[in-house]
Amino acid sequence: MTEQIREQLSALLDGELPRDEMGLLMRRLDRDTDLRRAFGSYALIGETLRAPGGRIASQSFAARVSAAINDAPDGTESASADQVAMSLPAARNVAFWKRPMVRTALAASAAAVAVMLFRPDAEPIAQNVPASLETYAMTASPTPAHSQRLASYMVAHSQYSTPMVRRNVLSSLLAADSGITRVSYEMGQAP
Amino acid sequence: MQTMPNFPPPDESMKSREPGDDVAGLPAGTEQSDLELVRRAQRNERGAFDLLVLKYQHKVVKLVARLLRDPAEAEDVAQEAFIKAYRALGSFRGDSAFYTWLYRIAVNTARNTIASRQRRPLDYEAELSESEQNNVTARLQHTDTPEATVLSEEIRLTVNQAIEQLPEDLRTAIVLREIEGLSYEEIAAAMDCPVGTVRSRIFRAREAIDRALKPLLD
Repeated sequence: MTEQIREQLSALLDGELPRDEMGLLMRRLDRDTDLRRAFGSYALIGETLRAPGGRIASQSFAARVSAAINDAPDGTESASADQVAMSLPAARNVAFWKRPMVRTALAASAAAVAVMLFRPDAEPIAQNVPASLETYAMTASPTPAHSQRLASYMVAHSQYSTPMVRRNVLSSLLAADSGITRVSYEMGQAP
Repeated sequence: MQTMPNFPPPDESMKSREPGDDVAGLPAGTEQSDLELVRRAQRNERGAFDLLVLKYQHKVVKLVARLLRDPAEAEDVAQEAFIKAYRALGSFRGDSAFYTWLYRIAVNTARNTIASRQRRPLDYEAELSESEQNNVTARLQHTDTPEATVLSEEIRLTVNQAIEQLPEDLRTAIVLREIEGLSYEEIAAAMDCPVGTVRSRIFRAREAIDRALKPLLD
């Protein structure tokens, strides 16, 4: 091991090593145990000077941590979920379906289904469905009550969509149905 | 950033310091260097995380031992804290200094240990067999280590003696760096020499102290 490399190591500990020198040094550290020992010793010197006394880590400590990480690379052992969660930002704990992209996708899908079901200018669905479904298809025609339900549905689910999605869907509905315009207007006027 | 109620006071090494110190208790430049190591570790360079362990192992063990008041468990709990930190590393965005983040994980881990210790039945020893009781006693005797205290004191004396024996320019450089927390540039200005000379002096000082420490640590 040359002095130059150890000097780089010393500078690395101090945060004074230029980035372009770091890569090569890191690769050397990966395969040179004595270099790693020296790094640990330099750190111990600083710690002793700054805060003398107290318990210090044993010589094998860092190696044991490294081995423990290698033994459980998938993160399935040692720490309970609660313990790990305590040290994680909230974003990591958000359920899959609550994540913004998923929420947007869900809201867009729901809105698309709603538009297809309640589309005012659609051909009567009953023409192509069995008689047993005819009653349902008839009730799906655009009436003020349906428009109101649809508007309520959109409002209720708006928390799961982005403003742009909400605006696009609502705009198309408003353009197609004056009943919804009235409902939305009334909701906008509500205290 | 996550807040922690009843956050324990930092140890002596984390009190506010003089110029150049932008991270509690750590010399100048450390934060950026740590961030670089974290970024590398996040790209699966395991060696980078190993360096962070080497760098902070004594600080974390010391902290945990102080919180637990039980040296026997200190290393196990410190190890658990490092493992948790490694697993959560993907979420570290650099909003705080790495050591501040690690410090919180270590404190949480120590607290969990204390809480689980309090949940243990007090009369559990009554259920142990004689041989198990002997093992427990032996372990307690072994781990309640005056040896650790002695070693720590020996290290302190050796480091101080080695520093006393350094040539003045090396001694000044290492003291300005490690105790005063100055950056290389600040030290260069204070000692009226190039930054490269500061880097070399600090390295040579560390080498001399390391040679004196080696028999103790091997």
